Amino acid sequence: MKLFTLISLIFTLPLNFSIIRYNFSYFGDVIHSAPGLSYAQTFSERTLDTSLVSPEDLVVYGDEIFIISSGSNALVVVNDNFNLEASMTQFSQSMAYRNRLFEETNGLLESYTTYISDIVNAIEAAKNQSLDLITDLEFLDQADKDDYSNQINLLNVDFIETVQTTELPSVMAATQAQANAAFDLIVDAAIDQDKQIADDEIADAEENDLELPVYTPVVKPEQIDIVPQAEHLVLLEHQSLNGPMGLDVKDTGIYIADTGNRRILKLNHNYEVIDIFTEIDDVTFETVEFIPLKITTDSTGRMYVVAREVYEGIIELDTDGSFNRYTGVNPITLSPIDIFNRFWMSDAQIDKLPKFLPTSYTNVTMSTENFIYATSLPSENNSDNMIQLINPKGVDVLIRNGYHVPKGDIQFIEGMNNYVIDGPSRLVDIAIYKNGIYTVLDSKRSRLFTYDSEGNLLYINGEAGQQLDKFSNGVALAYFGDNLLVLDKELRTVIVYEHTEFGQKVNQAIEHHESGEFELAAALWEEVLILNTNYEVAYNGIGKFHLRNGDYEKAMEYFQYGYDKYYYSRAYKSYRNELIKDNFGYIFLVLLTIPAVVIIFKQIKKRKDR
Amino acid sequence: MNKVKNVLQDYLSFPKYLMMHPFDGYDEFKTEKKGKLSVALVFIGLFALLRILTYQYESFLINERNPMLINNLQEIFVVGLLIVLFVTANWSVTTLMEGKGKFKEILMVTGYSLFPLIIIGYPALLFSNFLTLDEMAFYTLAVGIAYFLTGWMLFMGILNIHQYGLFKTIGAFLLTLVAMMVMMFLGLLFFDVIQQIIAFISAIIEELGLRR
Repeated sequence: MKLFTLISLIFTLPLNFSIIRYNFSYFGDVIHSAPGLSYAQTFSERTLDTSLVSPEDLVVYGDEIFIISSGSNALVVVNDNFNLEASMTQFSQSMAYRNRLFEETNGLLESYTTYISDIVNAIEAAKNQSLDLITDLEFLDQADKDDYSNQINLLNVDFIETVQTTELPSVMAATQAQANAAFDLIVDAAIDQDKQIADDEIADAEENDLELPVYTPVVKPEQIDIVPQAEHLVLLEHQSLNGPMGLDVKDTGIYIADTGNRRILKLNHNYEVIDIFTEIDDVTFETVEFIPLKITTDSTGRMYVVAREVYEGIIELDTDGSFNRYTGVNPITLSPIDIFNRFWMSDAQIDKLPKFLPTSYTNVTMSTENFIYATSLPSENNSDNMIQLINPKGVDVLIRNGYHVPKGDIQFIEGMNNYVIDGPSRLVDIAIYKNGIYTVLDSKRSRLFTYDSEGNLLYINGEAGQQLDKFSNGVALAYFGDNLLVLDKELRTVIVYEHTEFGQKVNQAIEHHESGEFELAAALWEEVLILNTNYEVAYNGIGKFHLRNGDYEKAMEYFQYGYDKYYYSRAYKSYRNELIKDNFGYIFLVLLTIPAVVIIFKQIKKRKDR
Repeated sequence: MNKVKNVLQDYLSFPKYLMMHPFDGYDEFKTEKKGKLSVALVFIGLFALLRILTYQYESFLINERNPMLINNLQEIFVVGLLIVLFVTANWSVTTLMEGKGKFKEILMVTGYSLFPLIIIGYPALLFSNFLTLDEMAFYTLAVGIAYFLTGWMLFMGILNIHQYGLFKTIGAFLLTLVAMMVMMFLGLLFFDVIQQIIAFISAIIEELGLRR
């Protein structure tokens, strides 16, 4: 057993060392820290046994995982055992949406009904034509003729039924073609048999020197033409996707940002289309095409859409798809030199300068309180608002009280460099856990950063790689219960992370802290410190417990370890008051004696001088 | 007893007098040779010490410096370099501008003008450790006043030592600043060139070593 542990240790050591285990200290130094998440399992295109070419977004709703794939244009649903539940590329219309289409589109209902009757008539005509031809055959006896006619009639009934039951114009057209071909086949068989009988009779007659019967080859009439289709009948067809990038699933429905088709598809939970939004009624879209990338919805069904090359902010659409407003604009910051330069430049000169555009959002996720967590690209000189929490008023209210502004990596190499990855993190998705804890995904270095609601960096995870527990091109992440799912676009897999003991304790301590149970939180923070002595955030948690308990000196000590100046100051103030209160007698005595002594000395000096 | 009195006179009373009555004070400073080089040097030393102590012992509440990065030699060097640069630059500028001050006098004025920083800085540093975050404004105010008084003393000192008018002194200060920059530039250039020469010579030595 001992030997086994030793050998297994040898094998797992490099694995353990390769995991990124760091955090940023108060002074911004990279320090060793325990990881909060560890690899649990994975499911991929292969284990699901479905096509998942370049998946783009992943959403958790209830105990189901929804994945949208832009390569195979499919919506994939996975259950909580990570088995495939459904994979859909076609979505039929719901009854209500169909009725609305008939109401709203001019002449649609009319052309639809005429199309159905035209098709039925055409099939009937083809049937009659075939029946006529069969009855006209000379050599076939009546029993066979009846047999063929029966076949045709039976098929005809089937086809007519298909046409009348289906709701899709394309199926009707196909049925007509099918009917033509099927009838033709039966007619051919009948003609062949007829010819066979004729040949037999001719041979018989030749043998017995009888009068030769005359066989005239049968000429088949032209097939009935395919009925032409009115153009707007396409509206009634099944809807398919074209390179969809964004997805959101809520009680109100499934929202797909169908990027290639430049529209938003709204499905109900039976995967039927209940609405399609294409046109956005705003001046911006008179010059720019509406290309939705990411979408999120609030509890009432208002949609918040990130669109390509729209710099005004996140587009807010009402439940019926009408344009409301832009929300959460990324501010631009000009340096003083830029402002100075622009001050004396003419308009023509300013036009020639490179445009200062606000950076675009990369993803949006709605919290249960209808606040939008958004990630955006860093602008050239400002990477401080890469993570935003946009309130219903459209203002960024993210709390940034941690040691550093939440923005992924703090320390990175600036400027061009061919040998290492440079520049700030590129955050592409954000997932919300309980108690205000959220995790962001850095696609540049394949790392996961978890923050608490105050903006403290709790732990960092993940590493780029091709192994099972690593990802090379993370595009989306979501919390699935207590587990974190990361969608890898390149490897077409979803990696499931679970919390380590350390991560669990940190989250639990924060939960206790949020609900005001400081004692329980402090006990957990103590345990966290055993697991990770470098963890400065934990000292603040313990300090707050001591502060509440009135143990000010201890609180000060812990706040000093945790560099929480605000609370240190509060603890110190109470400590100082206590000290003054306890020693008031002595202090008063000193305050009285010093002036007295001085006065006495002066008097003595005066006497001496006199 | 007399000795102590003399020390107090040199280190406290006279600098205070200079601060309060700059014209009379600096007149005595120059003509009656009341200023002492030793006092100026001690003040400079105390200022360097204050900087080191501030780095380490300033109240936790406003000390944003990383204690891991403290470098006493660097602090001393920065103070020494600044003063040497200023004095040299000022001397070279004012000799051309008909200033009456000597190099030694400029150095002494610079040293004496650090007096408010020292006399306010040390107690303020001590008291900063007894203040809360809200009260920290008093500390920053005290330090601000100290820096302002230092500037005042330096300005009046230079004005009197060279027997300049107001605008000429301002001009002299601006030119001193320029001269300091020029000296810094030349210094950096010098170091860079020396570095390259050393690299060149060491490359030659290495080459010779390899060819032997």
